[in-house]
Amino acid sequence: MTNSLNDMRHSKSFIFIGSNPPEAHPVSMQHILHAKEKNNAPIIVVDPRRTKLAAKATDFVRIRPGTDAAFMLGLIHEVIANGWEDKEFIRTRVSGYEELVEVAKAYTPEEVEDITGIPAEQTRHVAKVLATNRPTSLTWCMGGTQHSIGSSIVRTFCLLQLVLGNMGKSGGGTNIFRGHDNVQGSTDMCILSHSLPAYYGLSEGAWKHWCRVWDVEFDWIVSRFKSQEWMHKSGFTLARWYEGVNQEEKIHQYTPIKAMIQWGCGSNSNSQFNKVKQAYDKLDLLVVVDPFPTMAAAACDTDNIYLLPSASQYETSGSVTSTSRQIQWRYKVVDPVHNSRDDYQIMEMLVKKLGFADQFYKNIKEVPEDITRELGSGSLTIGYNGQTPERIKKHMENWHTFDIDTLQAKGGPCNGEYYGMPWPCWTEEHPGTPILYDISKPVAEGGLPFRNRFGVEKTYDSSGRTENQLAAKGVCNPFSEVDGGYPEFSEVVPGTNWKTDLSQETLRAAIARGMAPFGNARARCVVWDFPDQIPIHREPLHSPRPDLIKRYPTYKDKENHYRVDTRFESEQNPDLVKEFPYVITTGRMVEHMGAGAETRSNKYLAELQPDMYAEVNPALANNLGIRDGQMIWIESPEGGKIKVKAFLTERVDDKTIFLPYHFAGVLMGESLIDKYPKGHEPYVVGESGNVVTNYGYDIITQIQATKDGLCKISKA
Amino acid sequence: MARVKFLCDVERCIDCSGCVIACKEGNHVPVGVNRRRVITLDQGKPEEKSISVSCMHCADAPCIAVCPVDAIYQRDDGIVLVSKKTCIGCGYCFMACPFGAPQFPSGSVFGARGAMDKCTFCAGGPEETFSQEEKHLYGQNRIAEGKVPLCAGMCATKALLAGDADVVADVYRERVFTRGSGVNAWGWSKAYPRKG
Repeated sequence: MTNSLNDMRHSKSFIFIGSNPPEAHPVSMQHILHAKEKNNAPIIVVDPRRTKLAAKATDFVRIRPGTDAAFMLGLIHEVIANGWEDKEFIRTRVSGYEELVEVAKAYTPEEVEDITGIPAEQTRHVAKVLATNRPTSLTWCMGGTQHSIGSSIVRTFCLLQLVLGNMGKSGGGTNIFRGHDNVQGSTDMCILSHSLPAYYGLSEGAWKHWCRVWDVEFDWIVSRFKSQEWMHKSGFTLARWYEGVNQEEKIHQYTPIKAMIQWGCGSNSNSQFNKVKQAYDKLDLLVVVDPFPTMAAAACDTDNIYLLPSASQYETSGSVTSTSRQIQWRYKVVDPVHNSRDDYQIMEMLVKKLGFADQFYKNIKEVPEDITRELGSGSLTIGYNGQTPERIKKHMENWHTFDIDTLQAKGGPCNGEYYGMPWPCWTEEHPGTPILYDISKPVAEGGLPFRNRFGVEKTYDSSGRTENQLAAKGVCNPFSEVDGGYPEFSEVVPGTNWKTDLSQETLRAAIARGMAPFGNARARCVVWDFPDQIPIHREPLHSPRPDLIKRYPTYKDKENHYRVDTRFESEQNPDLVKEFPYVITTGRMVEHMGAGAETRSNKYLAELQPDMYAEVNPALANNLGIRDGQMIWIESPEGGKIKVKAFLTERVDDKTIFLPYHFAGVLMGESLIDKYPKGHEPYVVGESGNVVTNYGYDIITQIQATKDGLCKISKA
Repeated sequence: MARVKFLCDVERCIDCSGCVIACKEGNHVPVGVNRRRVITLDQGKPEEKSISVSCMHCADAPCIAVCPVDAIYQRDDGIVLVSKKTCIGCGYCFMACPFGAPQFPSGSVFGARGAMDKCTFCAGGPEETFSQEEKHLYGQNRIAEGKVPLCAGMCATKALLAGDADVVADVYRERVFTRGSGVNAWGWSKAYPRKG
């Protein structure tokens, strides 16, 4: 989130697209409804389903799954056509705008209607609501990302906010809600295959930086790999690791994957879950670390699996990062019960057994405080270094002194600081940054410009135009020594830059001059290393509109995409819709969490949501002779099928089937309840919706496309 | 003396069932017994509304009037409670209640007989305050601790208000003013239909 949940209380309008906070982020709703009531802020909800959020909306916009980019470009087109763009913001803080205008021209409200199903009049209306109720807070979640063009879709969201001038402002921003309290933290630590912690990447410089932080020899780390070249290659992703085992598609690694540890990961959140199950059976070793037996525990047919019972969040302590970039301390409530151990203990036993504890624990004597200290001292890119365990705990003890609207402490021991020191918090004196890219405040007091990350000048391929990438003259934070844009800081300490200077002198020097360590640049509309330099609409891989595939085809196939080939063009078959006529999309329900191992093992939550189901529009159901509560088969083009209850509701339209994805324990019509460890069966089992989510992955991130596949349904 | 009331602000209720779970977990209510429920009307339609419902602790409670053994009684602060030791499980109170609040243990298809259970406003029961027996039969006694009921304490959007009726009314009245008019209160247009 560029802003915070609390800051949404200042919004004058909202647009939610692919986000359903009453189910996924209920607590955020108090701030959203506050703004709706106090500011009379319109709430625009764009979703294929009339969700619980839509029940609170002023405008509900039903969109065909996977066409978000077209709608956003349509809004941008309409804003520009009426002269509603923020001209001064664009002139001073945005680059590549002319190139964006050129692309947006094609997305007239009528064209958008054809692609998205949203009436042209409604696109015009929404554009006007946004233009006349600024600032707007824009929120998306996995409904925006889990598409084969997810990376383009989320860029169009950002572009709309840039065009409207809503960035860096209280009440505005791109406010992507993250999940429970450490999803943002694990993202910041880059629990990903293409980057070391804090988004440093996998370059040699990145490894050397972290080796200095960890106080280990770079050569020792190199010696842990087969050879150095593998240190710099992105690994398999969570979405497709099983290809590294099954090898149904060509992999680019010297060996298939042989062993796997799933630590706090419910595997039935993986699309094409039946293929994940095949991979479990092929692995030499599978280790599951979780407080409850996950689907992996039941789905695996072979005797290659170990379950390590871990403690829950209430039985351990440590720092966690919230969706608003705030770091908090989680205190232990009780000691781990039964024979479970907390994650630190399990890791320590593993590391000791593997024989590198002396290297692993060089800086870590006091667990977990020293872990927070070590990761903070290295995570300079995102300013995790100012939030020491002592400061975090001080905030927790004095939370009542912070203002609910601004998050700033008024008086008391944390006077002037922002709750949880939202990153970046550059030094131990810095108050945290409550709103990113806000130039109204001095950097020392939580202000920031846009980051200079992509050079100082660029000539665009599409137009041949050359543009300075730094912010215009006169645009900077108060007290900045440079009046206008400036590049990122380096060579303050010779041989280092602001990201690698562990002495943190560079950070302090920049702030002393009233400047941001990462420079003051423009937000770019053109991303020259992406296949679509300006994002455009491309039809979902499995599209119900063969006519649109011709006009908006997907990408060329991608070789060696995180070590495995990914099909795009060769997978997009215009005839598929004849056999699989309905769009399938997935989402959350408030009672269950993620893959559901924990919540389906709670008797009260199980009582509230005891059945896996599929939402079917009553008209479609009547056409197919399906009655409410009847069992139906849903089949995917990849051969996955599930037998679930039909839940007739007008939440979905008559072309779309919706599935919650939290269920597990039944696989393709067969109950696996007997395969859970005795006495540890969840109260509720059900088919995993992800057995029928389709093939399809984003071209940049490889996130799975679970929101816009195709399926067929029949009476069971 | 304050008189306690619940009020569910329908503009705020997001159908998250946090109140239901808080009640069940905090009071160890058996599965199948629902002291509180969230009811959704017109689900999936433009007029969808949700409301959290439990015993309303009526001023003139019909359950008290019909109980043949006088198991149900009202405290001075308006909280309606049942003595499970006196209750014969006849179900008259269930028939009389306009909200379906009285609950009975679930069992066979014909239903199980047993003492009635319902929302206590988190005020325990007739047994000695904070005793093991009170906790076992009725759950927590948060009112005696000076706390609001768990359901309202847990509500993410502050839709569910509980406590002194005057204070609850003030909070709600302020909200309604903030919203610009009284006419968006749920049920207003039904109660006061526009003339002409």
